[in-house]
Order: sequence, then C-alpha cells, then structure tokens
Amino acid sequence: MLEHPDVRIVRRETPDAADQRHQLYVQWLNARASDPDILQLDVIWTPEFAAAGWILPLDGFGPPVEEYFPATIAANRWDGKLYALPWFVDVGMLYWRTDVFRDAPATLEELSRAAARARDSAGIRYGMVWQGARYEGLVTVFLEYLGAFGGRIMDDDGRIVVDSEAAVRALRFMVDEIYETQNVPRSTLTWQEEQTRFAFQNGQAAFMRNWPYAYPLMQDSAESRVASRFAVAPMPGADGGEPTAALGGSQLAINTNSENPEAAYAVIEYLTRPEQMLERARVVGQYPTRPALYGRPELARALSVAPDQARRIIERAVPRPVTPIYTQLSELLQIRLHRALTDQQPPRAALEAAAEEMRALLDKVGLAPKEPNGAGR
Amino acid sequence: MRRLTGWGPVLVVGLLVVATAFPFYWAIVSSLTPEARLFEAPSLFPSQLVFDHYRALFDQRDFWIPIRNSLIVAGNTTAFCVLVGSLCAYALARLQFRWKRPILAFILAVTMFPQISIVSPLYLLLRELRLINTYPGLVLPYLTFAMPLTVWLLVSFFRQLPAELEEAAMADGASRLRAFWEIILPLSLPGLATTAILTLVYCWNEFLFALSFTLGPERQTVPVAIALFRGQYQVPWGQILAAAVVATAPIALLVLLFQRKIVQGLTAGAVKG
Amino acid sequence: MRGDKRFVGAESREARLAWAFVLPALGTILLIALFPLAWTVWESLHVHDLRMPWRGQPFVWLANYAEVLTDGRFWGAMLHTAIFTVGSVTLELVLGLVLALALNRAYRGRGLVRAAVLVPWAIPTVVAALLWRFMFDAQAGIANAVLMDIGIMDRPFVWFIHSAGAWVPIILADVWKMTPFVALLLLAGLQNIDTSLYEAARIDGAGPWRQFLHVTLPLLKPAILVALIFRTLDAFRVFDLVFVLTGGGPGTSTEPIALYTFNALLQNLRFGYGSALGVVVFVVTFALAMLYIRALGVELTQAPE
Repeated sequence: MLEHPDVRIVRRETPDAADQRHQLYVQWLNARASDPDILQLDVIWTPEFAAAGWILPLDGFGPPVEEYFPATIAANRWDGKLYALPWFVDVGMLYWRTDVFRDAPATLEELSRAAARARDSAGIRYGMVWQGARYEGLVTVFLEYLGAFGGRIMDDDGRIVVDSEAAVRALRFMVDEIYETQNVPRSTLTWQEEQTRFAFQNGQAAFMRNWPYAYPLMQDSAESRVASRFAVAPMPGADGGEPTAALGGSQLAINTNSENPEAAYAVIEYLTRPEQMLERARVVGQYPTRPALYGRPELARALSVAPDQARRIIERAVPRPVTPIYTQLSELLQIRLHRALTDQQPPRAALEAAAEEMRALLDKVGLAPKEPNGAGR
Repeated sequence: MRRLTGWGPVLVVGLLVVATAFPFYWAIVSSLTPEARLFEAPSLFPSQLVFDHYRALFDQRDFWIPIRNSLIVAGNTTAFCVLVGSLCAYALARLQFRWKRPILAFILAVTMFPQISIVSPLYLLLRELRLINTYPGLVLPYLTFAMPLTVWLLVSFFRQLPAELEEAAMADGASRLRAFWEIILPLSLPGLATTAILTLVYCWNEFLFALSFTLGPERQTVPVAIALFRGQYQVPWGQILAAAVVATAPIALLVLLFQRKIVQGLTAGAVKG
Repeated sequence: MRGDKRFVGAESREARLAWAFVLPALGTILLIALFPLAWTVWESLHVHDLRMPWRGQPFVWLANYAEVLTDGRFWGAMLHTAIFTVGSVTLELVLGLVLALALNRAYRGRGLVRAAVLVPWAIPTVVAALLWRFMFDAQAGIANAVLMDIGIMDRPFVWFIHSAGAWVPIILADVWKMTPFVALLLLAGLQNIDTSLYEAARIDGAGPWRQFLHVTLPLLKPAILVALIFRTLDAFRVFDLVFVLTGGGPGTSTEPIALYTFNALLQNLRFGYGSALGVVVFVVTFALAMLYIRALGVELTQAPE
C-alpha cells in the first residue's frame, strides 16, 4: 500500500462455514487477543460483538455512511454507534422461469396463481421452492413473506411484534402454499440453499427464492437445464406490505484490543473504496454496498444480474432484528416456524408462542424494551 | 512352582498383542497411502507407499511448531515438578512430622481432581494476567495435575530405598539435609528419571487445558493441533494419521525403552500406595 | 544413644526440614488447584455471561443449580456419561481379568506383552480417538470393510450419524486404550495370591474353574475394587475421546458431562452456569475419589508385604 508504506497486512485464514468462523471469533475476542485487528463479520454478528465490547465504534474515524445503502448501515448500528462498515451485500431474490412466464409476478397472489398454472399446464413439478429446513435460512425466507404483508419481527423500539395480525397472515400464506395450493413441496422443509438450487436448476421448479450466488452457477449450460431461461426479480409484496428482501452480507470491524486501530481503519477504508468494491464484483461476483456504483458500466459487466434490478432489490432489503442475542431469538423462532410449516401447530398459536418465548428471553438478559410511560426496567 | 505355558494363555496374549498393534499398523499404512486411494476400499497390505502426507505435514502445516510447543510446555512443567516435588516426596516418605498422613491423602486426592471444574477460574485468571495463548499460560495450569502426580510417584519410589541409608550417613556425622543431598539423591536418579518420563508423557498428552487456553497454531500443542486439523473439502485423513504417527512414535519409543521401570512406578503408586 | 533433649531437638529439626521440603510443592498445589476450585464455587453463585457485560455479575445464590436440575441437556449429559462408564468399565474389567489371568500363566514374552500393553495407554487420547474415528469412517474405514466382507452388512453403515452407533467406536476406543492398564493392576493383585492356596484347593479336588471361583476371585476382590473405582473415576471425566470422535454428536446425543460443561463455558460463555456444572462434576468425582482411597486402604491391609 503506497499511501501507508509502513502498514503490513497479514491475512489469516478462517473456516468457510459461518458457524465455525463465529465460534473462532468468539474464542479470540473473549480471550482479549490483540490479533486479528480486522474481522469480517456476518451481518447478524455486529450487535452481538458490539454489546460484548469486542469491537470498536467507528464513528470517530468519520466513515462516509451516507454513501452506503441505509439498511446495511442500520444493521451495523448498536446503541447509537456504528460498529462495522458494510463490505459486500447479499439479498434474497425471486428466480423465475422466462420460458414459462412473460413477466415476474407483481404480488404474492399473482405468484401463487402463476405457480399453480405452471404445474397444471406446463407440467412443472414444483410451483415454488424456498429454504424451509429448521435453520437461519428459514428465518430469512420468513422475513420476506412477513414484510410482504407488512409485518416485522422486532419493531424500532426493540419490541417483539412477530405475533401481529400481519405476521399470522404471512405464515398462514406460507402454510397454505404447502398444504392448500400445494405449490410448495413438503420436501422443501428439509432443504437449504443448495437443494433448492438443484431443484430449480433441473427444471423441476417454476419459482425459487434464493441468494445471488445461484445465478452464475445456473447459467452454466453444462450443469444446468435452465441456463438462459430464467431471470430474477424482487420477492413480491402482498396486501398491506411491500416487496421485501432479507439482508445478508459481510462487514468489516476492528478488534477492541487491536494495537493498531488507526492502521486497521486505514485498511478498512481502503477495502471499502468504490474501486475496490468494483474489483471485488469483477473477481468474485460480490455485490457492492454503495448505491452509486450500480450506475457504473463496469458493474454491469461484472455482475450476472442487471445492476438496476439488483439495486431495486437491495433497496428493499430488511435486516434481521438488530440485537445482541439475535442467534438465540432466531433459534426460538425457527423452531416455532418449522412446527407451523410442518403442520404440527396452527400459525397463530406458533407465532404467539414464539413471541412469548422471545420476550421472556429478552427480559431474562436485561434487553427488554423500555415501556413508553417509563415503567420499564 | 510350575508355570503353565499351555496354548490357552499364549493365545489370549497373542490376541492382545494383535488387537493392540493393529490400529497402529493401520494408521502407519494409511498415512503412507496416497490421498486418492484413502477413500477407496481399504486393503490390509497396500501396494503403493508414498511420503506425501508427511511432507505436507511439515511443509504446509508447519507441524514443527506444535511439536516445539509441546516440548517447551511439557519440559518446563516436568522440570519444575520434579525439582520441587522430589523434596516434598522425600519428606513425606522418609521424614517424621505431624500432618504427614493427611497431606499424603490430600495429595492422592488431588491427583484425581477433575480438570474441567477449574477451567472457568483459570481462564479468567489467565485472561487477566494476559497469559492466554502463552507458554506460562499452559505451564501454570499443568502444575495442577503434574505436581501431585510427581509427588505421588516419587513417594512410592523413595519408600523403596533401604531405611538405613540416612541412619548410616547421620551416624557418620552428616545432617539430614546433607544425607539427602549426598546419599539419597544420587541413588534416586533412576526413580527421578522414571517419574520425569511419566510426567512428560502426561503433559504431552494433555488436551483440555491446551484446548481452552490457546488460541492458534503459534502456541497449540500437538494433541490440539491434530484434533483441529481442517481440510478444505474433506477431512485430511492422510495428514492426520501422519501427524498421529509422528506424535506417537517418540512416546512409544520412550515407553518401550523404560517399560519395566514404568510399570513398577505405576502399579506401585496405584495399587500399593 | 540419644538423650531426651537431643531427641526432642532432633525431632523438631527433622520436622522443620520436612516442612521446608513440603511447603513449596504443597503451596503450589493449594494455589493452583484449591484456590481455583474455591473460585469456581464462588462463580457458580453468580450470573456471569461473558457475552453480556451489561448484565454485570449479579449474585444469585443457588439459581444456577436450580437451572441445572431442570436442564434437560444436563440430565442427558449425565445419562451419556453413565452409558459410557458402564459400557467401558464393564468391558475393561472383564477383558482385563481374562488378560491378567493369561498373563499370570504365560511366562515367556512378558516384556513384549508389557510393551504392547503400555503403548496404547501412553499415547494421547486424542490420537487414539482419531485412529478409531478413521477405522469407523463410513467410506475409508476398515470396520465397514470388514463387516461387509464377512457378510454382516451389505451397505456401509454411517456410525457417527446414529446416536447408538456412535457409542460403539467411543467405547471400543476406551477399551482398547485402557484394558491393558487394568490388566496390569489386576495382574499385580493376582501375583500377590499365595500359590500354595491353589495347591491346597487342587488337592481337595477342585478343578481350575472352582479354583478361580473360590481362591482367585475372593482374594482378588480388593484389586478389582481398586481397578473398578479407578476406571469409573476416569470414565466419569471423559472428554478428549468424545470431543474428537463425535464432538458430542449427533446433536448432543453423545455429549458427556465434561463436554457439556466445556461447551457451556467456552462456547456459550456462560461462566456462572458452567461453574455450577463444574461443581457438580467435582462433587461426584470427590465422592468416587473417597471411595477409591478407602478401597486402596482395604487393599493395603490384605496384600501381603
């Protein structure tokens, strides 16, 4: 680096699997290791690490927050301070067959009808597939249906609202798609990203909800039966809500015990520059977190999805609840969602139970939201 | 006294040796098998033997580093424990004073201390002293089990020395201290050596503390390094088994050379007390 | 001949020397073992979640222990520990006894046998676990190859994704590693039995089996007891073996109590709760250790010097 000739950067390899990397970070940071100085965080880890005091607030370095997608910045704020800079972004998308449909559906009801038609007339086995196994991916899928009906998991005050009417409608819609219209196969309830990709790739599904990574893989005509016969669109909205995409991606943060915080920030600043993001898009196909880049022709060449379409979807991105105990809350929600989806519990009862458990947990760890009339904890 | 050497016992013993040796044989053979063939149907007598895994172990994975770490930690712990522990053991075995029996019982009890029960305070303490992922940060916890072990083994050893040794020396005018230093110690060298070897082996094999108090390859010991071997796609069995062979060979050698002494030390300590 | 005064002086000098010798080691042990143990107990009376510094470290009396009692995963861990202990200790005692009897009679090759016996015991448990993990690997493992060759199975069995299946390599690995040591303990006990007793029994017309039942077994009881408690103590604290073989899985279905404590502490960072679990482990270990020391005492009084 010519700007900072005395800064030496050493890369440390970490496991690919997010869970393992998370565990490794927890181990290092908890032991107050001063290495590594810079960490690459999954979007849901920032509040957890921030609240534990393991990463430094970045506001003092004056990062250009207005140049990023607002949702990505919001996901990295805790207690009013910014703790990580968004590096690249991932969003949930709707994949649809261009040889079966003329346009992407504009609402969930349209999607449902189109999927049913595809099964009846075009003979496609599955109408729609999404990640329904009991894991974090299920929550990201649910988040999109939830937003479509106008619901949320947690409101801006930190209150659990996943048992709202909108939420019940959203979950019931998902359940009905499995058991009533039967657009979604039951096997989807054991599938993660790759299994859904295979189903769509083999031409067995008319619609798929998945992340951008699947796009270039399915364009490979040697492996894929649907190469050049599909496109992406935002997951549509429904009554009372808007099209919603679950926000994923990576952020860069600084270890609290780092001995070189300024140098660390210099590196982060460098890595998040527009040219760096463009190169990242070109080399590994990762989506930049700066909206301005989506008008650049280099990005159009680099990404497999048209940039303005990608930008539209990212602007609809919604982060998961920004709370230090997100992983534990998610686990409670996953269990209940899966019970409803496997028809073991009605949607309303499942969501009410989930909400109650989540509120109890927040209470137990002292993160319960303050009551508006001051009667909080 | 007739000892029956009928084929029954010999068969049992033969089975024992085969059952014991087989996993080692299999590990050695597999560590010399090319990666591609490892996941095919295994054969007892392989056709191809390669040293790829061993080379990769030291070239790519720098397996020297965990070996160095284990040697340093085990060596320091053993040295300290044998030095300090031999004094204590001598006093418990050969000197008279009150509280001798309770202290002996106490030390025996501590040898059975569950390590997991003190991981939390040790972690907090080491973290506060900034000793996590350092050599002292491992030697200190290792003293928990190494010290009582050393004392216990040496007590049973010192007891076996003839009782008249000190008497004879003191009759010649030497003080107890000199008797210990000039007579007892030199005669104890075999016992000290055996104890040192056993303590070294225990330290070398230790896993829980090493896992809890180290953070990365720079300070991880051999057992931790092997247990945490990760491959990109598959489990790197070739290298793991090569590492296992490398980690085991020196111990096996030590044990084979000193087996008689070791067995004496162990059974005396565990059974007769 | 020592006079009274000199005797007393010599005695206290000896005692002073003894204390000078004893204190460094004793002090180290007290500092490194006892002090942390007391700290663990203290920790267990607080909530101390290292991920949630905003909660502080409130003193909560026995709330952690109450949670332990209602914790399904804790009882599961105790059950798994019991399964492992019963399985491995039983096999080790039986096989060890057979081995000791054979070793007692086989005179030649004792050195070779002793060596073969010691090496599994001396290697790191982690390495032993990896050897057995490899042998039971679904694809590369020789266990499946052999079982298919002799016709018991026609498809490779994935041992480690079934809770029941996963116990097999775990217990076998422990038996492989520790049976020789048990055999040595029992052999020492066997060799202490006066052979003239066998002669007497033989003269009375007792065959080898009855000799075993009426001479060997009763006189071996103390040694068996020592070996039993010794192995039980070890088996209760099992960690390395399970960590490497299954990591407690599938799920948590082979997770013993030591591993659950470790996970509570260093994975979930719940130091208060993990300390409570650590105290439970200590209490059980302590009870077993007291039994062991008593059994040793019994053995001492019976063994001819």
